[in-house]
Amino acid sequence: MTLLLEILIYLGTGVFYWWWTQNLSFFGLAPDFIFAAALSAAILAGPVKGIAWGFFLGLYADMLGSGPLGAYALTYTLMAYIVHLVKRQFDMDSFFSQLVASVSLSWISMLFYMGLSLAFARINPTGLKIFLAEPFLNALAVPAVFQLFYRAKRRLHVL
Amino acid sequence: MSREKDAANYALISFAVLSVLLLLFPASRLAHTARIVASYSLYPSLHYGAKYAHFVRNVPSNIVSLLETDQENRTLRARNKELELQLQRAAVIEADNERLAAAMRLSRYLPWAGAWARVINKDPSDWYGSFFIDKGSDDGIAVNDTVLGLQGEKAGLAGRVFEVYPKFSKVLLLTNPSASAVCSIAPAGMEALVEGRGTWRLKMNYVPEESGLTEGAELVTAKGGILFPAGLPVGTVTKIYPRESSMNFITAEVQPLVNVNTLKEVYVVRRKLPREFSEQEGRPQ
Repeated sequence: MTLLLEILIYLGTGVFYWWWTQNLSFFGLAPDFIFAAALSAAILAGPVKGIAWGFFLGLYADMLGSGPLGAYALTYTLMAYIVHLVKRQFDMDSFFSQLVASVSLSWISMLFYMGLSLAFARINPTGLKIFLAEPFLNALAVPAVFQLFYRAKRRLHVL
Repeated sequence: MSREKDAANYALISFAVLSVLLLLFPASRLAHTARIVASYSLYPSLHYGAKYAHFVRNVPSNIVSLLETDQENRTLRARNKELELQLQRAAVIEADNERLAAAMRLSRYLPWAGAWARVINKDPSDWYGSFFIDKGSDDGIAVNDTVLGLQGEKAGLAGRVFEVYPKFSKVLLLTNPSASAVCSIAPAGMEALVEGRGTWRLKMNYVPEESGLTEGAELVTAKGGILFPAGLPVGTVTKIYPRESSMNFITAEVQPLVNVNTLKEVYVVRRKLPREFSEQEGRPQ
């Protein structure tokens, strides 16, 4: 039952992100809800589950995009592992640490993803506008997604 | 703690290896086809510009053809809707054309000189009272010129020009409560006054009881009237009211020949009335 709920949350996250980008994009910009979900899951879940969430959400992002298949999966897998290491030293549940983590990890993820894209497909999928603006949009989205996931964890015992 | 750390390391290595395998073997046709079909289902657009060729690389040609067919289908549906709209517009233009052609045919047989004008504005609060036409004093329109409406293949009296401006004019309809016309009842030629009532019907007054008026009698403008040329069809008697005890005449209800609700063009007959008639209204010219 828990697994089924987790699959539903996983698919729901992807569909919500797709819907948002199709309908609520502002000047071609939208928060990366898949990134926000991967970061929130990494903060809330245990190490294995957090990394698994990162991998599968990354795979979903790969399926939606036109970059090399597996690049987002690897990026979010590593991001989840970094979060696992960091959260042993810092309180990642607080609002401020989530803001800092989402901005810094957004940029690190983008740079890593760009590097993978250039290495494996010789394309640079991230424009300057997205590179400069999206981390701040993600910083707004992460606390909201975290709260949703936190409630889901408490009530439905998922993550 | 150590077990958790080990689990995290194992998970990281497993998923990282899986990701790298996906990255290293992107040429897998099955994986790429599944990806493009899933991506296309969520975001059905192949307009990726320069990335298009990269996006569909290694995808079997039949799948690409299927997706391109879907794109073509969407484009054709949009084009089909556009053509349907054009067809509807063409039907309206054709109807306009037929109506105008009929009007032009009719105007050749009208014995009066005049000009066609379009109805450009109707006041909802004065629907049966007046409307504006797109011809004015610049086109030779003068106050009290007779306005004819076209109903089928017949022209009938609609009203008269009431106010004239350089580019447009106001027409006082016969259905206006303050409008009237002296009419002759065919075939006897008995004259009576037809007045507007502010509705789609007219009222005929001052008809002698012994006139022999019957329902269905047709009315034309009388020779005795000065404002309108004689012999213009006005309408048909639809109902005759009995004489009231205090009156010496009977009244009748008349269905106007011209339905003002369907008028789009009118024919303005140029009248050369005596100066005092033209100046009587005291309107701008």
